[in-house]
Amino acid sequence: MVPQVKLSRLPERFPLACQWELTCRCNLRCVMCYTDCRNNPDSVRRELTTAEIVRILDQLIEAGLLELCLTGGEPLARADFFEIYEYAVSRGLLVTLFTNGTLITESVADRLAALPPHRVEISLHGTTAGTFEQVTQGAGSHARCMDAIRLLLARRIPLLVKTTALTLNRNEILAVKAYAASLGPVAFRLGEDLRPELDGGAGPFRYALSRQELDELHRQDQDLWSEACRKSGTDLPPCNSGMRRFHIDAYGGLQLCSGNRRQSYDLRHGSFREGFYDALPGFACEWKTPATTALVQPETHHV
Amino acid sequence: MNPAAVYAKHPDYVQRDVAGECILVPVRRSLKDSNSIYVLNETGAALWRRLDGTSPVRDICAAFIEEYDVTPDQLHQDFDTLLADLLSIQAIQEVAVAHGPTG
Repeated sequence: MVPQVKLSRLPERFPLACQWELTCRCNLRCVMCYTDCRNNPDSVRRELTTAEIVRILDQLIEAGLLELCLTGGEPLARADFFEIYEYAVSRGLLVTLFTNGTLITESVADRLAALPPHRVEISLHGTTAGTFEQVTQGAGSHARCMDAIRLLLARRIPLLVKTTALTLNRNEILAVKAYAASLGPVAFRLGEDLRPELDGGAGPFRYALSRQELDELHRQDQDLWSEACRKSGTDLPPCNSGMRRFHIDAYGGLQLCSGNRRQSYDLRHGSFREGFYDALPGFACEWKTPATTALVQPETHHV
Repeated sequence: MNPAAVYAKHPDYVQRDVAGECILVPVRRSLKDSNSIYVLNETGAALWRRLDGTSPVRDICAAFIEEYDVTPDQLHQDFDTLLADLLSIQAIQEVAVAHGPTG
């Protein structure tokens, strides 16, 4: 009577999963980061307050939200992170935390373990300190990130290690994957798509691998090759952002997804229900075009 | 099924209503090993809502039979299954009930 595999009555449009960019603050300056241009005092002052976040969270929960991904920037860079996190978990949300790991100390890990997240995803941009810190531009950040992985594993917190394919770390990507596999029940994900900065800057693309370089990387690993083949298929469904998933930025803007912020509904002044059910359906997204047209380019799919 | 037994919901489970379905989410470490959530079916949800930590099983069943078109046999069978399932995932715990003096 109790365990059913999945929700059986979910409508086609339902606010099931939210990715919330809690802040653009971060203690690192990763070279390919698209939010770091907002990691400055003026922008930080415009970010949602704790009270505003809790008020919006209440609206999301009332609307039926189940999965919440807290990302940044670095979410742990917010002084009120645990106030927000613990509120969300204790209200019955399945919370995933995206983090660079470098702010996870023993006490932070203990606090996470006390009210465990659904999963923590840690960015590991190299297996050597040299490569890692070329990417993060943070002295000592590699050691702190490795410590975080150890601390979370010791507390049996579900973990995913991920990295972004860059010119700087291309020779260590497979080593990161192998390292994740060596940890046991730790998943791995490779990100390949860089985004322009939130202010439109193209800085991240200076570190992008070419299509040929990515192809060479894929051919070295069965899993990466399979995934690349899947993504290059022509029968991928169109983007479903805004149907059951949506994005909220650090300033309370409700958007289709983190990769499409051209239109935004201001949750500071409007209700979540109105934003999700009335505003989002009208937001433009070229990826919603039927998959049979030439506009669809699955390899740059942003969901 | 012990008709005099009283069950209370475990405080480390949060019940959510999502798209009309009743979901139990474990929020504490000791309960999270499987990283699972649980969806109650309609009967399960209705019974879950009546587990208040004070009413014995027999009273819950009696109230349920008055409200729903269900035979006592079917209800007892469903309730047995539900209680076993909920106990197995530690979503409920039996409450010790103080009895007055006898004799």
